Amino acid sequence: GGYMQSPGGFGSAGAQAEKKQRSRSQNIVPCTVSQLLAAEQVGETFRICDVEILQVTVVGIIRHAEKAPTNILYKVDDMTAAPMDVRQWVDTDEAGGENVVVPPGTYIKVAGHLRSFQNKKSLVAFKIMPLENMNEFTTHILEVVNAHMILRKNLLAASRVPQSCPPAGISDMGGFGGGGSLPLNGLTAHQSQVLNLIKSCPVPEGMSLQELKLQLHSMSMSTIKQAVEFLSSEGHIYSTVDDDHYKSTDVE
Amino acid sequence: MGDIHDVPRPRIATGHLAQHIGQPVCFVGRVEKIHPTGKLFVLSDGAGKNTTVELSEPLDEELSGIIEVVGRVTNQATIMCVSYVQFREDKSPFDLELYNEALKIIHEFPEYFPFG
Repeated sequence: GGYMQSPGGFGSAGAQAEKKQRSRSQNIVPCTVSQLLAAEQVGETFRICDVEILQVTVVGIIRHAEKAPTNILYKVDDMTAAPMDVRQWVDTDEAGGENVVVPPGTYIKVAGHLRSFQNKKSLVAFKIMPLENMNEFTTHILEVVNAHMILRKNLLAASRVPQSCPPAGISDMGGFGGGGSLPLNGLTAHQSQVLNLIKSCPVPEGMSLQELKLQLHSMSMSTIKQAVEFLSSEGHIYSTVDDDHYKSTDVE
Repeated sequence: MGDIHDVPRPRIATGHLAQHIGQPVCFVGRVEKIHPTGKLFVLSDGAGKNTTVELSEPLDEELSGIIEVVGRVTNQATIMCVSYVQFREDKSPFDLELYNEALKIIHEFPEYFPFG
C-alpha cells in the first residue's frame, strides 16, 4: 500500500486538493486500454461511469520498450485498442538495480495513473509486474468485467435513489458498505465493514479491536482480527498507540 | 496497409470465426499439429475446437503449448497470422478452459470489455 506522488501537479496543491486526492487513493480499477481511452476527462481528473478514476491496472503485452535517462517508455497492448504508452519513472539515485527494462513480448500487469497530454492518454506506472502465471491474465479479464459492471450498477443506483446526504461517499469506492453499492476494491463484506468503522472514528488513537467487536456483534474476534490484518497489510489502516488501535490511511 | 496491432482485435474462440471473416482477431489456443511445410498449424481452443492458422513465412522455431495469435480471419475461416506469442507455462500451466469461459463472458458483456 501507500500512495505515491507522481511528478507534476500535486506537490503544490493546497490542503483542499490534497484531501480530495487522498479520498480517491483506494480506487484502483482494473481496465482495458479501450476503457481508459474512453474515460471522460474532467479538468485534471478522469471518470468512468461518473466515478473518479485514479489508479488503474491493465494487463497487456509489451510491444515496444525505450529506455531514457529518467524513464522507461513501454507500449502495452491488450488487443482492445492500439498499444498504450506506459511510462515508468526511473529512480536516478539508485545505481543500476531497481529499474530493469522488461523486454518486448512479455505479458505484464501495470498499476498506474491515467494521464492525458495534448489529448493523448497514457499511463504513469508505479508498478510493473511481469506475469509469471498467465492465468492472472485471464483473471484480469474477469476482474475488468466485474469492476465495470459494478461501476455501471452503482451509477444506475445512484441516479435512481435520491441522495439526502452529499455524495462524497459514493465516489470513494473503497470499503463502501452501505447505500446498496458494491465495493469495487476487492474487499470482502467483513473487511469493508471493519474499514468503514475505523474510518468513521474521529479520535487520534483510532479505533480499538474491542470497540470493533462491540459494534460488529455478528463478527467473531478472530474474523475482526483477520480483517484488520488484511487491511493493515494492504495499507488501508495503520496501528497507532498499540497493535489494538487502528486509524484509516484514507481521510474523508 | 496499417499495422494490425494498432486496431482492436477481438478475442475469439473457434466458434466465432464465421462472424469475423475479414477482420483482425486475437486467438489463443493449444498447438495440436504443425504442417511439415511450417506454413500452417492447428490450434485447439478451450472448448476443444480446432482453428487453422496460416503463415506467410514458414515457422523458424518449434511451436508447442499455448499460443496467442494476432491475425485476420480469411474467407475460409482460417486465421492469417501476423504475429504470435507463446504463453509462458514454466511456473504454472495455463487454464485454457477457464480462458474460454472468460471469452464467453466478454462476448456476452461487450459493454464491460469493449474492443475499440
